[in-house]
Amino acid sequence: MLKIVITGCCQALLVLLALAMGPVHPLHAQETLKIGLVAALSGQSAKSGEAIIRGLSIALDEINAKGGVLGKKLELLTRDDESNPAKGLVAARELVQREKIAVLFGGLDTPVSLAIAPFVNQAKVPFMGVWAAGTGITRNGAAENYVFRVSAVDTLVDIALVDYAVKKYGAKTPGMILVNNAWGESNEAGLKAALVSKGMSAAGIEKFEANDVDVVPQLSRLKAAGADTLFLVGNVGPSAQVVKSLDRMGWNVPVVSHWGPAGGRFTELAGPSAEKVHFIQTYSFSGKLSQKGESVFTLLKAKYPEIKTTTDVTPAVGIANAYDALHLTALAITKAGSIEGTKIRQGFYDIDHYAGLIKTYAKPFTPDNHDALSAADYIFTYFKGAEILPLSN
Amino acid sequence: MIIFSALVSGMSLGAMYGLIALGFHVTYIVSRTVNFSQGSSVMLGAVLGYVLVARYGWPIMVAAPAALLGCALLGLLIERVLVRPFVARQSNAWLMATVAGGLLLDNLVLFTFGKEPRGFPSWLDDKPFIIFGVGVTPLQIVIPLVGSVVAVALWLVLTRSRFGKALSASVQNSDAARLMGIDVGRLVAATYGLSSMLAGLAGLLIAPLYNVHAEMGTLFGIKAFAVAIIGGITHAPGVMVAGLIYGIGEALVTALLGSTYTQIVMFSAVIATLALVPRGLFAAAALKKV
Amino acid sequence: MKHHLTSGAILCALLAGSLWLVATGEDYTIFIIALVALTAVAGIGLNVLTGLSGQVSFGHVGFYSIGAYAVGVLALKGVSLWIAVPVAGIVAAALGSLLALPALRVSGPYLGMMTIAFAFIVEHVTIEWRQLTGGQNGLIGIPQPTLVGGLSGERAIAFLAVILCAVSLIFFRLIAAGRWGKAMIAVRDSEIAAASIGLSVTRIKTLAFTISALLTGMAGGIFALLLTFIAPSAFPFSQSILFLLSVIVGGAGWTLGPLIGAGVTVVLPELISWLAEYRLLAFSALLLIVLWLAPEGIIGALARFLPPGKSQRPNAGNFSIALFLARPDHSRGLEVRRLSISFGGIMAAQAIDFSARASRITGLIGPNGAGKTTVLNLVSGFYSPDHGDILLDGHDVTRMSPEQLARRGMARTYQTTQLFSSLSVIDNVLIAMRRGRLGVPWLGFANSIERAQAEGLLAFVGYDGDLGTRAGALAHVDRRLVEIARALAMRPSVLLLDEPAAGLDSRDKAHLGLVLQALSAAGLAVLLVEHDMPLVMEICDSLIVLDAGCKIASGKPADIVSNSRVRAAYLGTQTTAFGKRKALPPADQPVILKVDHLGAGYGSLDVLHDVSFSVGAGEMIAILGSNGAGKSTTMRALSGLNSPKEGHITFNGQAIANKPAHEIVRCGLVLVPEGRQIFPELSVADNLRLGAYCRKDDRIEADMAAVLARFPRLSDRINGRAGLLSGGEAQMLAVARALMGRPRLLLLDEPSLGLAPRIVEGLYGVLGQLRDDGMTILIVDQMAHMALQLADRGYLISNGRIIRQATASALLDDPSFEAVYLGQHTPSPHGNLPDAG
Repeated sequence: MLKIVITGCCQALLVLLALAMGPVHPLHAQETLKIGLVAALSGQSAKSGEAIIRGLSIALDEINAKGGVLGKKLELLTRDDESNPAKGLVAARELVQREKIAVLFGGLDTPVSLAIAPFVNQAKVPFMGVWAAGTGITRNGAAENYVFRVSAVDTLVDIALVDYAVKKYGAKTPGMILVNNAWGESNEAGLKAALVSKGMSAAGIEKFEANDVDVVPQLSRLKAAGADTLFLVGNVGPSAQVVKSLDRMGWNVPVVSHWGPAGGRFTELAGPSAEKVHFIQTYSFSGKLSQKGESVFTLLKAKYPEIKTTTDVTPAVGIANAYDALHLTALAITKAGSIEGTKIRQGFYDIDHYAGLIKTYAKPFTPDNHDALSAADYIFTYFKGAEILPLSN
Repeated sequence: MIIFSALVSGMSLGAMYGLIALGFHVTYIVSRTVNFSQGSSVMLGAVLGYVLVARYGWPIMVAAPAALLGCALLGLLIERVLVRPFVARQSNAWLMATVAGGLLLDNLVLFTFGKEPRGFPSWLDDKPFIIFGVGVTPLQIVIPLVGSVVAVALWLVLTRSRFGKALSASVQNSDAARLMGIDVGRLVAATYGLSSMLAGLAGLLIAPLYNVHAEMGTLFGIKAFAVAIIGGITHAPGVMVAGLIYGIGEALVTALLGSTYTQIVMFSAVIATLALVPRGLFAAAALKKV
Repeated sequence: MKHHLTSGAILCALLAGSLWLVATGEDYTIFIIALVALTAVAGIGLNVLTGLSGQVSFGHVGFYSIGAYAVGVLALKGVSLWIAVPVAGIVAAALGSLLALPALRVSGPYLGMMTIAFAFIVEHVTIEWRQLTGGQNGLIGIPQPTLVGGLSGERAIAFLAVILCAVSLIFFRLIAAGRWGKAMIAVRDSEIAAASIGLSVTRIKTLAFTISALLTGMAGGIFALLLTFIAPSAFPFSQSILFLLSVIVGGAGWTLGPLIGAGVTVVLPELISWLAEYRLLAFSALLLIVLWLAPEGIIGALARFLPPGKSQRPNAGNFSIALFLARPDHSRGLEVRRLSISFGGIMAAQAIDFSARASRITGLIGPNGAGKTTVLNLVSGFYSPDHGDILLDGHDVTRMSPEQLARRGMARTYQTTQLFSSLSVIDNVLIAMRRGRLGVPWLGFANSIERAQAEGLLAFVGYDGDLGTRAGALAHVDRRLVEIARALAMRPSVLLLDEPAAGLDSRDKAHLGLVLQALSAAGLAVLLVEHDMPLVMEICDSLIVLDAGCKIASGKPADIVSNSRVRAAYLGTQTTAFGKRKALPPADQPVILKVDHLGAGYGSLDVLHDVSFSVGAGEMIAILGSNGAGKSTTMRALSGLNSPKEGHITFNGQAIANKPAHEIVRCGLVLVPEGRQIFPELSVADNLRLGAYCRKDDRIEADMAAVLARFPRLSDRINGRAGLLSGGEAQMLAVARALMGRPRLLLLDEPSLGLAPRIVEGLYGVLGQLRDDGMTILIVDQMAHMALQLADRGYLISNGRIIRQATASALLDDPSFEAVYLGQHTPSPHGNLPDAG
């Protein structure tokens, strides 16, 4: 018995040593151009990481089929940040310093991106956010800013949400029901500012945990405070809990939401009342697809057999943002003609035109604006059954 | 009205905490060990139920017992693999082993079941009806009801059945129980099966109100542990009552003070309770009687 | 000593290696080294708590987070790191000692929950206190300092982290090897014994919490500087689990344990980071494998292969016990006046008066359950008396705490020895020398004078084993000796001894007698609770006899032996209410139970040696002997509650020696255990039904009626809780419960224990009927007269050996067998006490 233990220990130690000494990734016959992704791949937000990987992979296959970038095939290295900024920062360092990636992509969690931003600016490696909408990620105040984004920006979204609520529902005393995480908090600030700019104020601000089953107590407070419209910020699961709680209370109040509900099977989770929620979007695979949309959808179906209909493509924003972001990045590297960070950054500024999935980008990035999407790209949508349909306001 | 609505909300959650906490209770009383991955059993109950009902189209009356059976098997496995080897070597590493086991199960489910939360098809009419101006769905009545029925049934089983008698005999005097021919080792294994089943039942009950995903159980497991402890982990009815108190307390604090303070107040209350009655609310009362 | 050198060398090598890597490595390597170092520091903090004082915390991420936020807030305000990091440690330590207050009252899972709650409170406070903490989005842009020599950025932070880690390791080493650490271990091993050598359990546990929080808080502070950004999500609850894992995987209590553990929990995930989404899955699986391979931690597993240190025996030198114990004033010993205490309405001690004078050995004797240990617990402060006074050296010390009493010179030993099992023999003695004063941690554990004195004490009590042996690994006799040496190390004026001779063989007992006499000669007041009557008669100057919580006699040993009340209490009264068999069983019954060369004991304690006997079908056999002779151990070995160490037991032709208890019962061998052991919370009927737990036949209810007919008192209470039964009824229930199993052999262990004589007679009446109905019975009872009146044959057992067997009537007529109980003289060489000059 003891002997087995000793030999077992020794073997384990040897394996560990071997792993530590040697290169950990398989050797490639051909030199590749590496790009990295640090995102939540396990835990509650695993779905978001999966969507980003899918969007990136489709774009990567397209680019590689056409011969890659600068004559090299692109290779994607993914790392799990477990939604923890410290782990994200370690993973970013590993990818940048060990794997010498050209560009780093980021995931769902704003705090992780906030933790990585100073590091990439210092290391002069472009960082492309495809999901986290925290305003401070791209507007991080660095003299040499290497952080770009193809995603929504909370401050802009919040202005749009308030505008919509006022125009559509004539909201006067809206309430906020926000998930208790960095995203919710960032929107709390954004919504407050947007309301102030309209000379309004919130009837109440309530938060709920992502794991909360019942949000009735919070909603009862908002109702008692006289909220006439609700601003909802939360991922699809938590958002569904809010809708179900509203149902249970029998409170029929207009709900204007951030893009959370689009992250999954909202109607399956929240029931028929889910259709009453109006939420903001950058892209959806539902309805009549553009030619680009059709082709991406076909590729997705081919690569991921579990995708059968457009309703299986969730969350669409993650896939679409990541898809466009990689194509834009490939363009930037081509423009730069080098994988040197400073040159790629200039390459981003030099992109004139790209016909993407979400829109046709014209001069998407300038030294003053690192966000490729703006308020004009947001659309309001709602669920009809499992489909997401646009709303005309 | 806010208070009544908080009561309704708190009751169903509290009953669920109570059920999971009873799972901590049954293993603790015979073996002085607990499964720190109870939350994963909650999740497994819901996930198995969902897969059987939504993917294979089984009727809930068949799917639910099947899911519970799956949970019971998990419990037996946990005892055999994550607890017994360590207890046999007088090591308290079972504590870490059950945590690691839970992490392992959560991740296995994540990659087999899927990463998206799924909606559990409700097996009751979802239309709320109004009591005292507060909307209540049938499920919100059913959960505390089932919770209480199960708690009472468990209590009856523990106090009346041959298994229960053997169990309480082992709790009261393990040596004397062995002298009656009771195999205490097997009994410990059985309580682990029962413990995971109770957690799985909680998962099945809450699934239609909530949703089903791989990580759904973690926080329930922690809160239920708090419930088990403040109830006095050795006292079954106390544990269930503590569950209800905790659930209602949470809802009331949120309703009256606002969600900002809920977790701070609740966990401070846990510390305060333990500081005042170190053996838990009801175990202390039970001790005084003796 | 050698181990210290090795670990010192390892530490230096690690320190040099990591500093070199920090100086030359790439940024990522530096970052990882810093993370390992910081996790190790947090782990070292947790190791103080878990490894030394034995408390498990799931909440250390709370302290880590507090430290990080303290530094984050201060650094953003421009405060220097040299101020900010210590402040972080102090803030965390302050909160740590605050948390210790409620945490002191709880242990085990209750403490676990309290620390979990603490972690969640900290998390939510950092989320909600936005003005200070920046809320969910945290504090951004924490400036990294520049150190001397132009070291800056994460290189500087990593440098600091490694230095802090090295300092923490040394600090832990100092604590662990010094008085603080040993006191923490002492408290962990036995709070009772710690209190009785004057250690303040409260203060020591608080100290452990505070130090633990201090280290973890400082690590958190540097972590904030390393990250330059902190948010609540950087301190998830799972990080607490990782800290605890670092300690457990590395090896709790070992200096280098957390460092190795941190290596595993930080570097392992990095090595498998390419697994991306499957990393967490693989990591948890790998952790399970490590736990299975080394449940006591990696260092713990490796330590088994370390060469044992050189064994060192105590050197008496010119030690003199009289000089060691000498005190300027004359001790006045112990005086107890009308001491009473009751538990749940039962008077465990009733108006007891006695005194134990200096330079005298006072014996406190009485049958089992007479209240002797209760009196010791009252005198040493573990129980608070309802009435009465206790005077130590003439001062009223009633209701003082055990540690206060210990500091005033009250020392004691325990019936089951309470050594600090993970401390070495010499440390067990040394830790008692200062009567609980802790001093400063860096001064070392003991000086050479104290060390010489401790060796002298050990040599004096007769310990001649290795000084470095862990007390938990000692043989039983040595535990007794070391415990006495530890009590003496406090230089007490009163020494209380609870059955010090139990389990000792005659030579050791003789030596113990000499030791106690020498102590008395040195001026100590010795109060001795002991069952070994020869020893008591030999060495005591006076005796106090207790029975059922009352003092029934006192005086010189010679007077006590002839006291009729004492004889009745010990031997039972001779009555004729029940008697001889009406019809003897046929002469050549088959042997139903055969015991060959049985040896048994508990842990390292051997109680039975080479015991052989047999029981024929239909016979009633009595096993007799004084307390501690090994009667109950025989019963436990037969029933499978304690697996025998050697020998064979054949029951009905089946070998049962290594079967578990629940299978032996199924063979038909049923024990009525000592102390009745009914299930108090169950009803009488349920107790009876459990007796038939193994049976599947349909005659159970019929048997129940039959059993109740035998014990009519039970049918009146059939639905009542068994816990409410009187002692006699409970004993009847225990017998009835055993009968429900339809035994082929009924074992009875001390059925008359603690029962009034009238009740005992009734019980024995029923046993006689059972015998006459053909039941085979093996009975053990202190009430030897009673047992022998029923039994066909008897075996006399002494010091774990059978010394005589004969028919019951032969034994009853043999005056020498009384001697075994009352100890005038002993019938065998084993029980002999050599002349103690």
